[in-house]
Amino acid sequence: MTRRMPVRQSLLGASSLDLLLSERGAALVAFTVLALLPVFFSGYVIYILPQYMLFGVLAMSLGLLWGFAGLVSFGQAGFFALGAYTMGLAMKWGGGIEPAYLGLLLSLLIGGVLAAVVGYFLFSAGVRGAYFVLITLALSIMVEQIAVSQSQITGGWNGMFIDRMSLSFGPLGKVSLFEDAAMYYLILPIVAAIYVILYTLTKTKFGKVLTGIRENEDRLISLGFDASLYKTAVFAISGAVACFAGALYGTHANFVAPSLAGVLFSTEVVVWVAIGGRGSLLGVLLGGILVASFSNYLSAITPEYWQLVLGLLFVAVILYFRGGVAGAVAHLVNTRRAK
Amino acid sequence: MSTALSVVVDATLITLILALAAFGLAIIYGLVGVINMGHGAMLTLGAYLTWAATTAGLPFLVSILLAASGVAFVGLLLEHIVIRPFYDKPFDTLLLTWGFFLVSTEVIKIVFGTDLRNVANPVPGAFDLAGIQLPAYRTMIACFSLLLIAGSALVFFYTALGIKIRALIQNQEMAWLLGLDVSRMYKLVFVTGSFVAGLAGALISPMLSVDPYIGNIFLVRSFFVVIVGGIGQLLGGTLIGSFLIGGSETLFALFTGQVFAQTVVFALAIVVLRFRPHGVLRAR
Repeated sequence: MTRRMPVRQSLLGASSLDLLLSERGAALVAFTVLALLPVFFSGYVIYILPQYMLFGVLAMSLGLLWGFAGLVSFGQAGFFALGAYTMGLAMKWGGGIEPAYLGLLLSLLIGGVLAAVVGYFLFSAGVRGAYFVLITLALSIMVEQIAVSQSQITGGWNGMFIDRMSLSFGPLGKVSLFEDAAMYYLILPIVAAIYVILYTLTKTKFGKVLTGIRENEDRLISLGFDASLYKTAVFAISGAVACFAGALYGTHANFVAPSLAGVLFSTEVVVWVAIGGRGSLLGVLLGGILVASFSNYLSAITPEYWQLVLGLLFVAVILYFRGGVAGAVAHLVNTRRAK
Repeated sequence: MSTALSVVVDATLITLILALAAFGLAIIYGLVGVINMGHGAMLTLGAYLTWAATTAGLPFLVSILLAASGVAFVGLLLEHIVIRPFYDKPFDTLLLTWGFFLVSTEVIKIVFGTDLRNVANPVPGAFDLAGIQLPAYRTMIACFSLLLIAGSALVFFYTALGIKIRALIQNQEMAWLLGLDVSRMYKLVFVTGSFVAGLAGALISPMLSVDPYIGNIFLVRSFFVVIVGGIGQLLGGTLIGSFLIGGSETLFALFTGQVFAQTVVFALAIVVLRFRPHGVLRAR
């Protein structure tokens, strides 16, 4: 299955082990485990996990930017919150078509278009590095401030309630997603599909150009690539993904408040991605799911110390292991292969 | 007439207080190029140390000096342990100082708790200026801010130390060849910036309720002040940047709500950064 078949594949079992240790094999295992979880658990775990999977998608939207294009955005939470508000307003307004579809479609569009406009505005002038970080941080603060100040639309500080969506499948009838298990099995395949799409994207020529920009932007430009267009495109994709995940999150959690766009949540996303390992979309996805789960579990026991540990881990990752957990695992696998 | 005057006075006070809050960042970012995302945490720490010292019964002036020294010490540790090898990699300093923000915020929460703390206003009351009530403490802080910036400019332009720092910014290699201890100068500038940030947090603490995220209000704004004013333009840059980011907010707030005015200012700041990435003072 893997394109880069190792030389020692003739050894019995080696190829299946290598598949397991490749990113695709690991992804297969991870999604299978997630798919089987409702068999063994019920109640709160099954209620809350889809939200963490969506956090994982949010993390992937940053992982794509940071790991592959070298762009660090501190504003992904802003897109996420924007998606949740879009969903809430679409559900409230209803309109002619199914509100859930409208909300999901609009969130993709709004996230993508907004990111494309902002991205092109900035990248065409050569804004990069720290300036991009600050501007995206400001963007997420602006989303928060608008959500607070336009209280007649958004509910201000109190936030906004969002109904669970129900999806109609034409002649097949309507599926209410009020049940947690139903919602779980709707969101899991969506998360898996987003992962596959983004993973495939990084393997295309587009993905290779992005990596080139990350490594040496000036060289790519002199080779004739319009770096600002590529960066705008990847930022638009990332914005659309984050916004879409936010729309699903809003309808799953039934609630959105301005703090979803705030500095603190934006920060958390950066920490998930750094710890998960920004070079691997799977690492980032699992980083988001696991760190959010641990945070929830440990916040009941020792919230401050857990956050402190996360902060120290973040510094350690920046200082010593650039690749985060996924990078460390890949390193171990490679050393094993080299033996 | 008196409303117009009170708006001008208000804008001036806010400009100068924001300049004070941003000045530590202007020193660290502007002079040694460390993108200090921990600036907000330094302000917060200064505020909490002031609360702790005044609650312990120390006089206010002693408290703010202790608080600023405490933050300077933390800055020294940060520089020595983490930042030192990264002066030539500004983007890494951004991530590392962000990590500092995360860690120090949690330490503050563990030590001081998350309840709101209040530092008693040392100079309560107001005085009258041509029919306008000026809050006494804010006015004093605004004047102090002006003095601090002017004093720094004096050091920067008229002392041997200032010459060394300017040499360092202009041509680090040449300064080193001429016998300047570059790493010691960097450390000195970083610690001075931390001291000023701690002092700003200490002085601002009586104006706001102190919570673990108090510095966040100033983090992005301080960066905008420094970049819009022009990185390295300590004197004029900080003042003009503060006026454009802080003072103009007062003017916008005349027409819209306070929160929405902030949004407008942020949007304008982003547009300015796009077209004048080196600040409004410097030609491209």
